Amino acid sequence: MKAPMTKIVHYINQFFAGIGGEDAAGSPPVRVEGAIGPGRRLQQLLGDDLHIVATVHCGDDYASGSADAVQEILALVRQDDPDLVIAGPAFTSGRYGLACARVAAAATEHGLTSLAAMHEDNPGVDEGGAATIVRSGVAAREMGSSLETLAAAAAIVAGGEPLTNEQGRLGRPRRQVVRADRPAAARAVDLVLARLGGDLEATEVPLPRFEQVTPAAAVEDLAQTVLALVTEGALVPEGNPDRLESARATRWLRYSLDGIDSLAPDQYGSIHGGFSTVWANEDPHRIVPLDVARELEAEGAIGRLHGEYLVTAGNGTSVANARRFGVEWAADLRRSEVRAAILTST
Amino acid sequence: MAEARPTEGLQERPAAGLTRVVHQVEAVDFGERTVYEGGRLTVSPAEAAQILSSPALGEVSVSWASPGSPVRIVKVLDAVEPRTKGPGGGGIFPGFVGPAQPQGRGRTHVLRGAAVVAAGYLPRAQEAVIDMSGPAAALSPLGSTHNLVVEFVPGEGAKWEDVDEAVRRGTLALAARLAEAALDAPLDAVEELPTGPSATAGLPRVGVVTNLQTQGTFKDVFVYGRSFAQALPTLLDPGDLDDGAVVSGQFGHPGLKNPTFMHQNHPVVAELRRRHGKDLDFAGVVISPEPVDADNKQLISVHAARVCAAAGFDAALVTKEGGGNADADVALKMDELEALGIVAVGLFAEMAGTDGTGPSVVVPPSRATAMVSTGNYDDQLVLPAVDRALGGTTVNLVDLPATEELRLPTAVVYCSLSPLGWGHLRCEAAV
Repeated sequence: MKAPMTKIVHYINQFFAGIGGEDAAGSPPVRVEGAIGPGRRLQQLLGDDLHIVATVHCGDDYASGSADAVQEILALVRQDDPDLVIAGPAFTSGRYGLACARVAAAATEHGLTSLAAMHEDNPGVDEGGAATIVRSGVAAREMGSSLETLAAAAAIVAGGEPLTNEQGRLGRPRRQVVRADRPAAARAVDLVLARLGGDLEATEVPLPRFEQVTPAAAVEDLAQTVLALVTEGALVPEGNPDRLESARATRWLRYSLDGIDSLAPDQYGSIHGGFSTVWANEDPHRIVPLDVARELEAEGAIGRLHGEYLVTAGNGTSVANARRFGVEWAADLRRSEVRAAILTST
Repeated sequence: MAEARPTEGLQERPAAGLTRVVHQVEAVDFGERTVYEGGRLTVSPAEAAQILSSPALGEVSVSWASPGSPVRIVKVLDAVEPRTKGPGGGGIFPGFVGPAQPQGRGRTHVLRGAAVVAAGYLPRAQEAVIDMSGPAAALSPLGSTHNLVVEFVPGEGAKWEDVDEAVRRGTLALAARLAEAALDAPLDAVEELPTGPSATAGLPRVGVVTNLQTQGTFKDVFVYGRSFAQALPTLLDPGDLDDGAVVSGQFGHPGLKNPTFMHQNHPVVAELRRRHGKDLDFAGVVISPEPVDADNKQLISVHAARVCAAAGFDAALVTKEGGGNADADVALKMDELEALGIVAVGLFAEMAGTDGTGPSVVVPPSRATAMVSTGNYDDQLVLPAVDRALGGTTVNLVDLPATEELRLPTAVVYCSLSPLGWGHLRCEAAV
């Protein structure tokens, strides 16, 4: 008897759906019948038993800019009641990778088998939750080989088998807390003696790898550019009305600068838990330099100051959250036509 | 004519090395006089209040929180083990109780099983919790000691810096006074601490570099009573740790902080002493500040590595204090040590996120790769409701009454991720 066909919904971004580039990055999610873009070649590689019944595409800014977007996408994905959700490949594109990982993670939470494809340095690798993430190339020029890896992985996970690292699975194993027999001090001395004895591999903490961030190109014409002020210095309106965490922040906030020329010490203050806030609170411009920014705006040195500042507290924040804030800020600012930002760090 | 001997006229020096005279505290009480008798420590609240009194403080009170009791201490500041070297302290806590002079010699009386714990609001202090019962009790070294909890209100018009200073001085003086009650009591143990190279030839010389988080008022550490913020790394006689030369005024990152109690009982130093002459030669303690800016982190790290080299270390354990920023101080030192041919091992609490999937270390070393895990900062705990709370009525982080059931990250439990290696928590890869 022939095995029943596996129904697949494929998620891709606006670029690979042929909608447009950065100009269309804000486009909302849309469902279309069958395979489109890279999905066509993927379908050929998948063969007859695995069938892409629909494609959902969405702009990268829209998809990575809020948690609601992922739920919207998931609602479209679930219309076809798929057996497998495939997202990507996203290569090293940060917003696209994040969207793929989150769609896969959300689908997995809803009991759908899902698979996202991206390069190992994509920040999305950390956001896949319980979904499987498979390796892709660095950029679209490696589309062919990336789709071959993805198709092979799809056949494996569609069959209910776990994907192994050798088969291209990405993502570090979850760190779980256990109680050791001996205290850390004793284990540390053991480790010193092992290393002195020539064991250079021994460690309890595998060395994490961090991607190198390439600085953006210089802004060409600042006088025509919308500039934003963003900070991890936890400067919030007096009384911290939205309860930003002073440490281990899980979110970021935005506050309007419309019609405001300066930040009065009795109206703004830093609630950051990681540095002495005395001088910040004496003059909040030490964290968010609105005064100078307004001067530059008046002189015409910058095109315009963005109408709000974005803020979080960078204190004991997990790298995964910090990276997510960065991607969300970039998407949010792009949507508002901001093309340059000053990030003040404390 | 007889030649003058070169040592003639020099004062006789006390023998090198330190002896800890241990008195175990099995039970505690309040009474009219402060007495230690038959393992029971009785404290006079009036005397305690008098020792703590200061123009910077209003009302001050003391309460006992004992192991196994349904009590939670919140807003924990410093914790101190009661110790003394003689009447009036005999030089203990140099720079605060005793004169600012190196100690670490002679005899030190220890009231083991007890602590003086200051608790209350100070600016910049992050919420810190000790449970005396339930699952979190075992995660803190102060969950199994009889704690004399000092609560205070600021004096009228007092500056917070002065309140902080008064609480610190009062807590240390009270700890010295409690130990004085045991000066003439029968002892439970005598611990002779090793000093100098061991008699066994050919053992590797292993030392420890302990970073102290020095980031200004309410986040500072004192050595001989002085802020260590502007200091360069230096060797410190290990006996000076026992005698309270390093005093904590650092109230950030409770799970990752090193209160005075932990410096007095430095777990890595204890382990190096234990194995001295067997597996290794204990080569010394280097203390180092943790500057806030990158240039100074680099300078201090290179300098610390050179101090270790000058002291002939073959290997060094590197400990930290604080959150992700302080990972850089450990990582840079590990790399600089290995660049000089000194084997380095770091102790790191992992910051792997609530689900354990985030990258563990904020700033990893590049040359040195040997790291011990002290648990996951973000791992969530459930602390059951308790009958009584000391130190405050609410828990800041979650905005709940301090006696209620609390869901908190491990990071909030006092010394739970001890960077000095006290704890048993560790992370491993889930299968």
